[in-house]
Amino acid sequence: MSNTSPFHRSSAQPALSRRDFLWQAGGGLGGLALASLLGTDRALASPGKLTGCLHHPPKAKRVVQFFMAGAASHLDLYDYKPELIKRHGQPSDFGEKVEAFQNGLGPWMRPFWDFHPYGRSGKMLSEVSAPLGAVVDDMAFIHNMVGKSGVHSAATLLQSTGFQLPGFPGAGCWVSYALGSENDNLPTFVVLPDHRGFASNGVKNWDSAFLPSQHSGTIIQPSTTNPVADLFPSKGAGLLRPGSEPATQALLAELNQAHAASRPGDQRLEARIRSYELAARMQLAAPEALDLQSEAAHVQKLYGLERGPQAWAKEINAAEETFVFGQRCLAARRLLERGVRFVQVWSGNDNGFPRRNWDSHEDVKRDHGPLALGMSRGIAAFIQDLKQRGLFDDTIILWTTEFGRMPSSQGGKGRDHNPFVFTNWLAGGGIKGGTTLGESDQWGFKPLDRANPTQVYDVHATILHQLGIDHTRLSFRNNGIDRRLTDVHGHVLHGLLA
Amino acid sequence: MARPRLTLNAYAAFAAWALCCSLAVAAPVDFLREVRPIFEAKCFKCHGPEKQKSGFRLDASQVALHGGEAHAPNIVPGQPDRSPLLRFVSGVDREMRMPPKGDLLTVSEQATLRAWIAEGAVWPATADVVLANPLDWWSWRPLPSPQPAVDGSAKIDSFVRAKLAERGLQPAAPAPSATLVRRVTVDLTGLPPTPEETAAFLADSSPLAYERLVDRLLASPRYGERWARHWLDVVHYGDTHGYDKDKPREHAWAYRDYVIRALNADKPYARFVQEQVAGDTLFPGTRDGIEAMGFLAAGPWDLIGHAEVPESKVDGKLTRHLDRDDMLANTLGTFTSLTVHCAQCHNHKFDPITQEDYYSLQAVFAALDRTDRPYYLDDATNAKATKLVRQQKDLSAQIRQTEATLGAQAGEAYTALTRRIEGISKTAAAKAGNPTPDFGYHAQVSQQAQTVKWVQVDLGQRVELARVVLSPCYDDFNGIGAGFGFPVRFKVEVSDDPEFRQGVQLLWRGHDQRFMADLPNPGLTPYVVPIEPEDVITGRYVRVTAVQLAPRKGDFIFALAELEVRTADGRNVAQGRPVQALDSIEASPRWRKVNLTDGLAPVRPSPDELAQLQAERDRLLLAAASPAVAETLRARRTELAQLTKEVAALPKPSLVYAAGIHTGSGTFAGTGAQGGRPRPIFLLARGQVTQPQREVGPGALAALGFAPARFVLPAGAGEGERRAALAQWLTHRDNPLFWRSAVNRIWQYHFGQGLVETANDFGRNGAVPTHPELLDWLAGDFREHGGSWKRLHRQILLSATYRQSSDDNPAASRLDGGNTLLWRQQRRKLEAEVLRDAVLQASGRLDLTMGGPGWRDFVVERPEHSPHYRYDLADPADPQTFRRSIYRFVVRSQTQPWMTSLDCADPSMRVDKRNESLSALQALALLNNGFMLTQSTVLAERVVRERGEVKAQVARAYELVLGRPPSAATLERLVVFTREQGLPATCRALFNLNEFAFVD
Repeated sequence: MSNTSPFHRSSAQPALSRRDFLWQAGGGLGGLALASLLGTDRALASPGKLTGCLHHPPKAKRVVQFFMAGAASHLDLYDYKPELIKRHGQPSDFGEKVEAFQNGLGPWMRPFWDFHPYGRSGKMLSEVSAPLGAVVDDMAFIHNMVGKSGVHSAATLLQSTGFQLPGFPGAGCWVSYALGSENDNLPTFVVLPDHRGFASNGVKNWDSAFLPSQHSGTIIQPSTTNPVADLFPSKGAGLLRPGSEPATQALLAELNQAHAASRPGDQRLEARIRSYELAARMQLAAPEALDLQSEAAHVQKLYGLERGPQAWAKEINAAEETFVFGQRCLAARRLLERGVRFVQVWSGNDNGFPRRNWDSHEDVKRDHGPLALGMSRGIAAFIQDLKQRGLFDDTIILWTTEFGRMPSSQGGKGRDHNPFVFTNWLAGGGIKGGTTLGESDQWGFKPLDRANPTQVYDVHATILHQLGIDHTRLSFRNNGIDRRLTDVHGHVLHGLLA
Repeated sequence: MARPRLTLNAYAAFAAWALCCSLAVAAPVDFLREVRPIFEAKCFKCHGPEKQKSGFRLDASQVALHGGEAHAPNIVPGQPDRSPLLRFVSGVDREMRMPPKGDLLTVSEQATLRAWIAEGAVWPATADVVLANPLDWWSWRPLPSPQPAVDGSAKIDSFVRAKLAERGLQPAAPAPSATLVRRVTVDLTGLPPTPEETAAFLADSSPLAYERLVDRLLASPRYGERWARHWLDVVHYGDTHGYDKDKPREHAWAYRDYVIRALNADKPYARFVQEQVAGDTLFPGTRDGIEAMGFLAAGPWDLIGHAEVPESKVDGKLTRHLDRDDMLANTLGTFTSLTVHCAQCHNHKFDPITQEDYYSLQAVFAALDRTDRPYYLDDATNAKATKLVRQQKDLSAQIRQTEATLGAQAGEAYTALTRRIEGISKTAAAKAGNPTPDFGYHAQVSQQAQTVKWVQVDLGQRVELARVVLSPCYDDFNGIGAGFGFPVRFKVEVSDDPEFRQGVQLLWRGHDQRFMADLPNPGLTPYVVPIEPEDVITGRYVRVTAVQLAPRKGDFIFALAELEVRTADGRNVAQGRPVQALDSIEASPRWRKVNLTDGLAPVRPSPDELAQLQAERDRLLLAAASPAVAETLRARRTELAQLTKEVAALPKPSLVYAAGIHTGSGTFAGTGAQGGRPRPIFLLARGQVTQPQREVGPGALAALGFAPARFVLPAGAGEGERRAALAQWLTHRDNPLFWRSAVNRIWQYHFGQGLVETANDFGRNGAVPTHPELLDWLAGDFREHGGSWKRLHRQILLSATYRQSSDDNPAASRLDGGNTLLWRQQRRKLEAEVLRDAVLQASGRLDLTMGGPGWRDFVVERPEHSPHYRYDLADPADPQTFRRSIYRFVVRSQTQPWMTSLDCADPSMRVDKRNESLSALQALALLNNGFMLTQSTVLAERVVRERGEVKAQVARAYELVLGRPPSAATLERLVVFTREQGLPATCRALFNLNEFAFVD
C-alpha cells in the first residue's frame, strides 16, 4: 500500500532520499536546505503559494484559535435557554441518571446575565458577550459540540490535539507541518498563553510530539522583557561586546562553510548554516512584530489598550482582563499579518486558587463576568481589525473550550462540568457568518439531536478543508500507525461553509 | 416499543416458514448462485475485498466464519439462531442493523441466508479467498538457531558486504583514528573524548588499540548513563505525572538509577525485563526486583482522573482503562515492538492481535496502580523486613481472633467499655464528648446530600484573618458520635457584604481537599482552614458553605460545634459574635446558632484517661479466659510487642515510584483494601468503557504459539503471578519478537538507523528488515549468549561496517541515498543530553556524581495546586545543574524548553528514535540560552587558568570543544576574533560550530 499524497510523511522514510527528490524537483542548494529547515518543502513546487501541493484550492491561509481554559459556560455566553429562566430554582430533572464531575446537580439555574438579540441574524448573546454583537453576523455557532470526558486534562487535549492522551501534535503543529511558513523570519505556529500561566497539560497542548520539532508552537509572551525564549542573550549577556552578534555570525559562517566543504553531500550541514542566518533575521523580525506600541492610537483604543497597564485590583476584574486579552489579540493580528500560519490565544490558566480561568464551580459571575467581557471586547476588535485590513476573508477564527457547564447549580453560584454539550464558533476563512449549526436541548444539557452531535474531529476537518487539505490525507506514521489530526473520525461541516 | 416487537415476531414466523420450505423441497442453497450475490450487493461495500470494517469480510470464509470481533463468530454453521449475522441483517437491533444505511435485506434474502447457515454454511473453495497467514510475517516467524561464529564482527561484515555486492557497492574506507575515537566514545559514553584521551589513542600504535578502547569504554560507568538515556526514551520515563496538576514524583529516580546500574553490570536481558514486569514476584526481597517495577509506572498518569473521580463513574473508569493501556502499550511496545494497543476497539487491522488479546493483557495489570513502594537497598534487610511484617500481620490476626472470641463472652461491662473507648457511647459523651449540653449549630435536615447550607459569623468590623478553625460536634444519634454533621464538601469565604454578593474572597488553601474532593470525617479533631500571610484575607463576615452534607440516618445534615476566627495575634475574634444561617434547628440548649461562637466544643479523652479505660477493659477480657488461654494470649502479645519493636527498629525504608498495590482512600482507593485483588476486566465493545461484554482473564497474544497465551494460574494466586506469567511469556526463548526487538534497538543507536527502521513496530505496518539474515543471526547469537548487551556492542563496534568513514560517495548515494545498505557510517547530530554534557566537560565543570534525586533547573511556583515549573527563573550558574543530563528532573507538562528545542525525547511519548531537526529557534537556543552563555564564560576562565597567552588559550579552548588542535589559519582567525570580542565570545562561537554539533 503506498500513499502518494504529498502530505503523507513517515518517519520511516530515509531523509536523504526525500532531499534527493527535492533536488530533482529543481530547488537550489540554499533553497533546499532552507526548505528542509523550515518544513516548507511540501510547498516547494510553487514557493510562497499555497496551491502548490494542496488537495484542493484553499479558502483560507491562516488560522487563529481562541481557547478558553477551564471550560467556558455556553449557557452564560451564547446558548440562550429561556426554559432555564422559566424554571430557575426548580429542582433539576434531566430525565436520566447524570454523572457530574463534582455532583453539581442542584436546581436549574438561569444564565447570570440577560440575553439580547444582535445583528441582522438576531442572534441572542448575553450581556457579557455583548461586544461580539458588533460582529455576530460574521460568526457561525455550533451549539451541539460534545466531548468525551469531564476531566479537564483529557478534555483539553482532545480539543487541542484531537486525542485524550498526551503525545499528539496540536492542531497548529499539523497546519504548520502541512503548509509551512509564509514568512521565514517568524515561527509558523505561535502560542500566546495566558500571562498567568499555562492551561491544563501545559505545553502538551501545542508541542509537536512526533512531528519535527520546528512545528511546535512557539510561546510568545507579548509585552514582557523576553517575549520569545532565547531570542537574545539573557543572563550572562555581560560577556558580549557591542558588535559581537554580526562578528559571531560571520565567524560561524566562515568556519562552518569550511567544515561543510570538506564533507560534501550532507545537506544538513548547509541547513544548519542557514539556520543561523535565519536566527539573525528572526531577531529583527520578532521584536518588530510584537511592537504593539507602534500601532495607531485608534487601533489601540479599539482593543481597549489606550490606558496602558495599570495597578490592577487584586480581585479578578474586567478592566484588567480587557487589557491583557486585548494585548494578545493585537499581537495575534500582527503575527498573522506577517505570515504566521497558526496562532493559538489562551484565556485563563490552570486550576488554581484564586480562579483565573473559566472553571467556575464556585461562582460563575465572579470569574465568567470579567473573563468574558475581556474576551468579547478583544475578539470583537480583532475581527473588526482583520476586516479593515482585508485579512478576515482568508483567516479562519475558531473559538473553543474543553467542555461546557451544567444548567443545574453547584453550590448556588457555580456550575459543574458539562462534557455532554458545549459551544464552538467559527468566523472568517470562507465560513458562513450569521449561522447556527446544531442546537442543544432545552436545558443546554445535551445536543437536541443526540444521534448527530458535532465533535472536535469535524471542526478540525473543516478547518483543514478550508486550508485546502483533505483531513484523511494529512498523516504521519508514528509507532506503526498513520496518525491524523482527526484520528479515524471527522466530517467536514459543509453547513458552515459560505 | 410495539413495532419492533411485531417486526421481530413477523420475521421469526416467516423465517421459520421459509426454513421449513427450503427443507421441504430439499434443495440445498447454492452458495455461488444464491448467497454470494447477496453478500456482494449488500455487504461487500464495507465487508469485502476492498474494505473490511471492524476487520470483518464476507469474501473469505476464514474471516466470515470465524471473525466478527465482539460477536465472533458471526456465522455458526448449522446454528442460524446462534449466528449474530442473521440478527444484524434482520434490523431488529437498531444499534446494530446491517447494512447500517439503506434498504435491509429482503425477507427472502434473509431466508436464503438462514437456510444456508442451517445447512452448515457450506463455502466452496472455488468461491473462497484465501488470505495470507497473518503469522507469515518476518517478525513473527520463529528465530532460527544461529550458526556459531568465531568472530561475530566478521560475521556482521560478511552479511553487510553480501548485500552491498548485490548492488555492486563497496564499503567506505575506514574512518581516520581521530574520527573513530570521537564516534565510539560518544556512542558508548554520551561524552566526547577529552583531548588527552584522544591523544592517548592516537599515540597507541598497537593493533589492539581500538579493541582496548572499546573495552575501556564499555567498562566505564559512563556507559550505563549513556545507554540508560536511550532506554528511558523508549519507556517514556518522567519525574512528574503530566496532565493537569502535574505533581512531581519524588521517588521516580530510583528506577532510573536501577537502569543505569543494570546496564553497567550487563544484566542478562531476559532477567532485566523480568524484573521490570514482575520483579517483586519473581525475585522477592531484592532491591532490583522492586526498583525495576518503576518501568510500569514510568509513563504519564492522570492525577485528577484518579484522585477526583471514583472508579464507579464513567470518567473514572475511562481514566483507569487508559492507565492500564499505558502500562501494556509500554510493555508490549518496548519488549516486542508491537502496537498491541491498536486492538482496544477492534481486532488489530494489520497484525494477528485480537481484542481478546488486548483485554487479556489489561487483566494482567488489573490490580495495579502507580504508587511509592517502600523497600531496602540491601537485600538482607529487605528479606528481614518482609519476614517481620508478615509475622506481625499473622500474629495480630491471631490475637484479634482470640480477643473477639473472649470479648463475646466477657459481658456487658466489657462491651460498654469498648464503645466508650471507640467514642460512640453515651457514657463517653458525658465524660469525653460535650462538656456542656450546648452542642452547637445544626442546620435543617435535608433529604439530599447535595444541598447547599451556609452559616456565617459577623465579626462586627473588618478584620485581617490568620486562620479559621471549625470544631466538629459530638452526638450519639444513630451511633454517629464524633464528627456529627461535619460537611463532606464545603468552602469558606470572607466578605464585607453580609449577603456575600460582592467582594467575596475564597479561603483557597486546602480548597481542593474540602471542596473538590470528599473530606474524610475529622472526628473530634478541629479542622483548621489555613491562611498564609501573603494571601491577605480581610473582611467582616466569615461564611462556611456546605455543598455536600454529612449523612445521618437516611438523611443529611450540617452541624458545627464552634467556629473560631483567629487573628495573627492568636485572638478568637468570633467568640460571642452573632451568627446567621440559611436555616437552623433552634432546639435550646443543645442546638442553636449562638452555640457556634460560645467557645465550647467537645474534646477527646486525654491519653491518660484512654490508657486507664483500656487497662480496665483488658482486665475484664482476661477474666473471661481460661488460665491457659489467658497465658497464650499474654505470650502472643509479648511476642507481638517484640516484633513491633523490631519493625520499628528497621531503618527508614527507601521509596520508589512504581507500579504496585495502592491502598488509598476516597476516590483513589486502589485495590489495597481488597488485598490487591485484580479488578474485573471486560472486553469492551468498540473500546467503550460503557459497553463491557464478557470478562476476560490474564494472557498475552494467542497467535504466537510458542507458549500458552491464556495464563492458567493456581487457585489463590496473587496478582503478581499474572505479571510473572507475562514476564515469562515475554522473555521466552522462543519468543521471536523479544530477541529481534532488542538487538535492533541496540543496532539503531550505533548506526543512526535500525536494521528495521521502525524499532517500535515490527508489524505489517512497520518496515521490513534491510538485512533479515543479519538481524536473525544477531538475535539468535544474543539469545545464546545470555542476552549480554556488552557482548553485542563489542561485536558491532569491532566490525569494519561500524568503523567505516561517514563520507559521502555520490555513486553509492545515487543508488541508495538512505544508506540502508550501510555503504558508509552515518554522520549524527549530538542529542540534547550529549551536547549539554559535552559543553560541561569542555568547560571543566562536569560533575560526575552518580545517582540520586534529579537535579532541577527550574523554580516551582504554586506547588499546592498545579505546579508551575519556571525554567526562566532558575540560575544557569547553579552548580547542582552541572551534573550529567541523565540525572535531570524530567517534567512532563512543561518540558525543558532548551532541551526540547534540541529534540530531546518527549517523556509523554514512547520514543524509539529521536527526531533530528534544525531550526532558527534551535540556533537561538544554542547562541543565547543562559546555560550556553554561562558555560562559555566558564570555559574562557578555564583556558585562562591553563594557558598563558591568548593564542595558546584559544588553541586550548578549540581542542577542548572539538577534540583536535586548530589549523594555523583557523587559529589566526580566532585570535583576531578574540582580540575584538573577548575570549568568552570565542568559546560561545566554538560551541555553536557544526563540527561540535555533529559526529562524523
